[in-house]
Order: sequence, then structure tokens, then C-alpha cells
Amino acid sequence: MRQEACAAAREALPVESTETNAPTPDGTIREGEMEGVLHVVGELGYRAASVRAVLEYSGGHRRQFYDHFDSLEDCFAQAYETWIDRLGVSLLEAAIAESGWRSSVRAGLVQLLQSVTARPEIARALFLEVQVAGGAALIKHDEAVERLAGLLDSVRGEIGADEEPPAPTGVFVVGGIEACVCDALAADEANRLWDALPELMHLAVGSYLGNEAAERALEEAQALLERDRAGLEGGAR
Amino acid sequence: MTELRLVEPEAGGGPFPEGPETGGGPFSGGTPLPRRLPRGRHGIPAGLVSEHQRLRLLAAMAEALGAQGYANVTTTHVSELASVSTSTFYKHFGNLWDCLLAAYVAAADRLCAQIEAACFAAGEDADASKPADDTDSLEAGIAAGLSFFASDPAAGHLLSAQAPREASALCAARRLLVSRLAAMLRRTRDANEEALQPPGLDERLIDATLAFLHSRLGSEAESLIDLMPELVAILDRSRCRGSEATAAP
Repeated sequence: MRQEACAAAREALPVESTETNAPTPDGTIREGEMEGVLHVVGELGYRAASVRAVLEYSGGHRRQFYDHFDSLEDCFAQAYETWIDRLGVSLLEAAIAESGWRSSVRAGLVQLLQSVTARPEIARALFLEVQVAGGAALIKHDEAVERLAGLLDSVRGEIGADEEPPAPTGVFVVGGIEACVCDALAADEANRLWDALPELMHLAVGSYLGNEAAERALEEAQALLERDRAGLEGGAR
Repeated sequence: MTELRLVEPEAGGGPFPEGPETGGGPFSGGTPLPRRLPRGRHGIPAGLVSEHQRLRLLAAMAEALGAQGYANVTTTHVSELASVSTSTFYKHFGNLWDCLLAAYVAAADRLCAQIEAACFAAGEDADASKPADDTDSLEAGIAAGLSFFASDPAAGHLLSAQAPREASALCAARRLLVSRLAAMLRRTRDANEEALQPPGLDERLIDATLAFLHSRLGSEAESLIDLMPELVAILDRSRCRGSEATAAP
């Protein structure tokens, strides 16, 4: 994946490092409330979520909650922005650690599946329930999709002008991957996503580079699963 | 007085073959459903009145969902849009999600029927003296799908959006729609291509297509048909065999 594309995406993700900014006690409570709202929304659904349920999860007090957020909707929107940006950064880091576009796409996809299977209730909030919530969170979601599509598009520089894929290819591929994730989450079968890794690699690579490269990507993903599926499933961060 | 036009169901068209709101039955035939039947004595059989109400509720469900979103839509919104009371709503459906599921299934049937009819017509129109071109069928199917989404964005939104956790039956209905559309996509391939296609890829392509259309419905609903060349190119690309794009990086 092109280094400049990765650098641009990193700049577009204003996530502060927790290593350099130690959280204050109040910050920790706020962080717990944000994790709580995503957990509750993922568990109960956006329509059934309540401040009370969030506080039961996070252990804070109602007054503190309203010191931090205007409403449950505000809390969800802020939590969404923080967590979707973190997810974006983790995918980016996994991708740039590899050399070559295809390997970067596979590493990013593996990181996505690890994140989803490690915290399926959070993933349900990030991918499924955001469609219910709409508003500011959905805008952040769409921005994240555009950023990931831009990262996939970094391969365009290596494709001849007469073979260049259509402009919406990146959004198309990211949408397909997300739909597959949503499908597994809706069925409470996040772990079955690993079975889809080869197909998803075929979808991503084939949409840009055609069928021959897609078949190689599919075989590489199948070989990776055969070799180290247990390690991948256990490697969630 | 509002005229209620009754049309005989078309033969072999399934329960909801064609129609502007939800399809067929006695209300098919291309005339939009009136918002409500005339008040007072009108001599219309009770069964027809009930079916008319149900069809209005199904159409209103998609409209209300588009206007309110999953977070806010209620049975009151749907009932008001359909010009029926909430008690009438509950005569037809147990709850909001039952109505949503029925609306989804009806819209999915309409979409599949339109695409199948377009693909069939493309096959009929093909010059018998030339080898069949699978791309014609793919283009016809995509054009029909885009036309459906453009002409009824509310139904398009209903079909393409991810369903919330509470509506688990809707998730199953969505998977069924994806499988039906994937089967149609498979039929646009020749046997050699089909044998080499990894299982599950067509479902991923359909998922991606629905997600892509969903992202375009808000701002570009009326011009969706303009996306056809790009969509055909994307869907066709992963099955291109002779014209590899480039050496894989």
C-alpha cells in the first residue's frame, strides 16, 4: 500500500495516543461511559438503549454522565467517532506493516475480523446499529468508509490507464466487506467471518486487478487460514 | 368519490406480480392506490377493503421508514401515512417489525420480478444467429434494478439498509434476497466461468451492490440509472479472464 496514502489517512484520523496522554480520572469515567454506550447499543439495540443501562455497565453516576454528554444520542455520537477512528487506525497500522498492496489489504482485513470477533457487541454498534442511530454517527461512518475506500484506491497508480477500475470501486468493495460483517453480526455468528476471508479477498482484489490476481489472493487467504487459523482467531486486539 | 379500479390478477405472476405500491392481487394494474377508500356506505366487499388497507400499510411502512429512520419510526407514523387507525394497523400486523417484514418481502418480490423479467426480455431480444452475450443479460438486470431503486427510493432504502438487531426476521429476509439476486447473477455467467467462480463470491458482490446503492440513494436517487456502466464494469471485472488488469502488486 502506498506510504503517502497511508500517511494522509493517518493525518485524517485525529486520535490521540493514550501512551502520551495519560487519562485523568474524569477522562477514565467518560471513556467508560463511551464504551458502555457502544456495549449497550450493541447488546440491546439502539432503540432499547438507555442512560440507565449505560451506567449499569460503566458504573458511573447519572450526573457525571450529563456533565460529559448532552444526551444518550450525544454520548453515542461521541463514542462512535472515537471508536471508529481507533478501528481505522488499527486497520491502517496493520496494512502499512506489510509490503505490497495485496498483502496490506489482507492484513487490514485480518485486523478487521480480529476486532469484530473480539468485541462483537461493540462491532454491532459500529456497523449495524449506526444505521438505526443515523445523525452525526452515520456521517462519521460514511467518512470512515470513504477513507478506507481511498486506501484501497492507492493501487490505482500501479494499474494501466486503460485498465483502471471504475471510480466507485473502493466504496463498492468496502460496502461489500461491511455487509458481510453485518450479516454475521446480525446472526450472532461473528466467528464464521473467518470462513469468508478468502471470498472477501477475492472481492477486493478482483474488483481492482481482475480475476487472475483475485484467484491468487483467494488461495493465499485459504493457505493463511489453513496454516494459522487458531492464531488469527486468538490474535484479537 | 374516489374510484377504486379492480383489475384481474395476471396469470402466473405470483402473489404480488407487479404494481406501483406493493404489487398485484386485485389492486394490480399500474394505478397508484388511493390513499383511502371512500367513507360511509360504498358497497365494496369487506375483504377488499381489508386488503386495500394492508397494501396501504405496506407502502406506508417503507415511506415512514425513509422519513423517520429506524430509530424513530412508530406504528402511529405508519398508520397515519396509510390513513388507517392504529387499531386497524394491529388487525393486520402484530407489531411494527411484522409490518416491516411484510413490506420487505413484498418489495423484494417486486425487485426480483422486475429483474427477472428484464433478463428474460434481454434473452428474447438477442439475435438468434449470434452467440448469446451474457453481458446483455447482466446489463438488463442491473438496469431493471436501478430503475426500481430510482422509481421507489423508499422501497430501495428498505431493501438495501442493514436491519436493526430487534428485527431479526428482517435479517433473514435480507439474506434470502441476497441469495435470490446472487442466483440471478450466476445465470449471467457461462458454464466455464461458473465452474471457476469461488462459492459465496456472488453473494458478496450482491451485498456490495446493495450497500453501494444504499450509499447513493440519498443524494442521487433520480440519477441512479447513470451508475449502470460503472456497476456493470465492477460486477463484470472479477470474472474477466482474458484481460487481466496488470501484474498483481
